[in-house]
Amino acid sequence: MTTAQTFIQCQWCTTQSPLGTPSCPSCGAPLDSRNVVSDSGWTAAPRIRDMTRIEFGSSTCQVEGHMVPVADLQLGAGDAVFFEHHVMLWKDDSVPLENLSLSGGVTRLFAGMPFSISMAKGPGHIAFSRDAAGELVVLPMHPGMEMDVREHAFVLASYSLEYSFVRVKGLANIFFGGEGMFMDRFVTRTARGLLMLHGYGNVFQRTLKPGESILIEPGGFLYKDSSVAMDVEFQKIGGAFLGGKAMALARVRGPGRVGIQSMYHHHHQDRK
Amino acid sequence: MDQPQTTPVSARCQWCGNTFTQVSALANCPRCGAPLRVAARRDDGGWTELPPVADMARIQFGASSVQIEGHSVPVADFKLGSGNHIYFSHHYLLWRDDQVLMGQMSLRGGITRMFAGLPIFMLEAHGPGRMALSRDEPGETVAVPLNPGQAVHVLEHKFLAATGQVSYDWTDLGIFFLVRKGNNSDDQDYVYPIGRYIDVFRCEKEPGLLLLHCAGNCFLRTLGPGETLLVKPRSLIYCDATVHLGLHFEYPRHAGMLRRRHIWLRLKGPGRVAIQSCYEGIEMENSPNIIEPFGSTSRAW
Repeated sequence: MTTAQTFIQCQWCTTQSPLGTPSCPSCGAPLDSRNVVSDSGWTAAPRIRDMTRIEFGSSTCQVEGHMVPVADLQLGAGDAVFFEHHVMLWKDDSVPLENLSLSGGVTRLFAGMPFSISMAKGPGHIAFSRDAAGELVVLPMHPGMEMDVREHAFVLASYSLEYSFVRVKGLANIFFGGEGMFMDRFVTRTARGLLMLHGYGNVFQRTLKPGESILIEPGGFLYKDSSVAMDVEFQKIGGAFLGGKAMALARVRGPGRVGIQSMYHHHHQDRK
Repeated sequence: MDQPQTTPVSARCQWCGNTFTQVSALANCPRCGAPLRVAARRDDGGWTELPPVADMARIQFGASSVQIEGHSVPVADFKLGSGNHIYFSHHYLLWRDDQVLMGQMSLRGGITRMFAGLPIFMLEAHGPGRMALSRDEPGETVAVPLNPGQAVHVLEHKFLAATGQVSYDWTDLGIFFLVRKGNNSDDQDYVYPIGRYIDVFRCEKEPGLLLLHCAGNCFLRTLGPGETLLVKPRSLIYCDATVHLGLHFEYPRHAGMLRRRHIWLRLKGPGRVAIQSCYEGIEMENSPNIIEPFGSTSRAW
């Protein structure tokens, strides 16, 4: 959507760019094609074209590949990103790595969350990728934003973001939903930041109005604005034969954005 | 760019055979979602590649529709009309709205199914309302419209959803071989290369829609009466119920001491068959302790 003769606004992240720019420099979304929206209101995450560059601070991230995309960073001097160590693909010799100390180490350990987070500082190259087919989702974060992300789903975050974790209401979530009790929380204070996630399969986003709610399979949940409430509800299945077995669904209630991934492994699936 | 079409024109989908009248230039078949402007691509071996359902394509059934979203792990996003329902395995539910009424569909032989690793019940979703399903591996959604009297055999775990007009059953086709536990043992294990049972979907009076998930890409072929073909057992997605299935054992020449073996699924027409490009191999394919079952065929080169 054009806002002036000389600028075009990204439909995904609302960043404005000069007219004729092929892709959004903040999130990589193609600017020459419209958002793909389903009849039920889900917007497909933009298909970032191979070799698209995204800018943050004095650094750039080039997205490479389409089946299991690689985030290839050229970190500028003074810039840094943090990440879980198992998503690293390659790096220059000269890029220093260090561990970020996190609060609640034992709690994180028992929750299955990463015990330590690694950080890489510029200048230099470092690249990241995940372990299954999917999409990179780029979420530029403006000052004052809070995002909750499924554990192990974040690929990298710029150092300007604050990182913590939050507990999901309902202890049963850990047993039934497969989502676990905790989610990663990313917060921006005064500076802008970049958050990059990997969703398995395809990723869709929907913006819920205040009070609007839908039920999501917990395995399909990927991210949400912290303003979106999440609670666990049970759908009874199996009847008397299985002793009244129930499946857990996450009720998400607006206002705010919620993102889902189309591929997930159900923790109670019995297929071979 | 295509000019807007103003006069109704009769068109036929080359994939599902559906004939319909289009008043505007449709991009996809409303009954199976296949792209209408894509020419059939037939390989030299006689298989036709099923073009993937385009992102956001809609398939109509009754007063309902399903929109296929995504390209690597597609989502089937249903808009269920009042009085319409679908059934599916609860593993595949991605999201739903509050309007959709959920119920349970009992299946015969619950204990037998449980021991065979099959779901022992399915969920039913009744319209009106919206809901979506997706699977857990990259691939394509394959829409199989069924006409009254038509039945297909579908391999285990390929099923995504079916409309209420499609009946579901399962049967044992006796596709197995035996493996001795040790060289001189009488103790034997049964191995089922395509699973213990095969799903049977049938339409009796009204046409219905069956949605399957194929891993990788999907290829179709129609076998003539008596025509045979060998496929790797777990590459099969579905076939018409008229197609006969059996095991075939093949021993390559110059295998020496290794006594290598290939296990195939022999398909005998008439009928349609569909295979997927991504499949699992068979454990113990080269075990020296395999006993070829009665009724199978073999060939040593």
